[in-house]
Amino acid sequence: MDLIVAFITGLTTGGLGCLAVQGGLLTSTLAHQIELDLQVHNGAGVVQKFRPHIAQPILFFLIAKLIAYTILGYLLGSVGSVLQLTPLMSAILYFAIGIFMIGNGLRMFNVHPIFRYFVIEPPSALTRYIRRTSKNGASFFTPILLGTLTIFLPCGVTQAMMATALSTGSPLQGATLMFAFILGTSPLFFSVAYFATRLGSAIEKYFTRIVAVTMLIIGLIQVDTGLNLSGSAFSFSRTISILEAYALPAQTGLSIEVTENGYSPQTLHLPANQDLTIEWVTRNTQTCARSVVIPDLSYQTILPTTGRVKFDIPAQEKGAIIRYTCSMGMYPSQLVFDLESTETDQ
Amino acid sequence: MKKIFNVPDMTCPNCAMHLEGLEDEIPGVKRITASYKRLNMEVEFDETLLTVEQIILAANKIGYHPEPIPA
Repeated sequence: MDLIVAFITGLTTGGLGCLAVQGGLLTSTLAHQIELDLQVHNGAGVVQKFRPHIAQPILFFLIAKLIAYTILGYLLGSVGSVLQLTPLMSAILYFAIGIFMIGNGLRMFNVHPIFRYFVIEPPSALTRYIRRTSKNGASFFTPILLGTLTIFLPCGVTQAMMATALSTGSPLQGATLMFAFILGTSPLFFSVAYFATRLGSAIEKYFTRIVAVTMLIIGLIQVDTGLNLSGSAFSFSRTISILEAYALPAQTGLSIEVTENGYSPQTLHLPANQDLTIEWVTRNTQTCARSVVIPDLSYQTILPTTGRVKFDIPAQEKGAIIRYTCSMGMYPSQLVFDLESTETDQ
Repeated sequence: MKKIFNVPDMTCPNCAMHLEGLEDEIPGVKRITASYKRLNMEVEFDETLLTVEQIILAANKIGYHPEPIPA
């Protein structure tokens, strides 16, 4: 998942979705800070307007949360790298994330009681400990501790993002993904916590449907990604790309341009019943299109930013279709073996 | 004494945490375990200090309407 997408997900769905659980802890701590400030203010007999000092504890909470989740992302990426996820395992993971998000979206719409089982509830002992810590006063240690402990209270969107960090299979990518996502959640957290301690529940009610719709959309995208990575003949994005290909004249040749927008041509017609060597061509390509996955051939490679890489394909029967995407399930494309051997120069 | 209540107006997992928070607020309550999945909560309390009605009242104050399940 692109870092910008992770950030925007945090800024929208993540911030709203996690506000209910984690925002409650934060505002509970702030309430004590406000009470303390109020005592000092009243004791001093000052006439000026009361202004509680809550910006600092909020910042401490958010910075601690950001650091904790970045470390968590690093650890998840490390686990993913040890597991060495195959395209099929990644596909299953994306599919599971998608189903989880769709289930949570439907739960938020109260479609059926069964969708309540899509919630992963932390153990009562843990929530009890965190709740009591949040009421332990206003030292700066408390918001830092609570910010760190939020990793044990992830909301649905965060859980999905954690699974995505796992699927990156890279500690650095896992860490940056979680960093971008949590950074995205921070503005809303800060605003809500700063401007009104009671606004959380009001916003939660108001935006529940927006969060639910966003969860459904992201869930469908994740399922689509899973389908693409599994090499499935059907996925929403693959259907669109196939329809687009129908509008173009059949494209032949033995090279595929790997561009910032995916693979060109999206559908390449090749001769059947003969071994072939095709060439991936990159020209300062920076996107995930460089990381090519062909599930049917168990082929996975990372192309240079600029260069030409040859790839051998064993002879395929006439009519065979080999589907491929980037490692993130984007840019679904296909090789169609429907030409006679004389139609394309080898 | 333990008493189980149905809480039909729980709308999210946070509601369970919210209800469990009552154990720090009501004298006489030993433990509250709430479940959003089952839409219920189990309250362990000292019946010499507290009645079922008082528990319901405390839950009402934070926006929930528990219904005791007959033993």
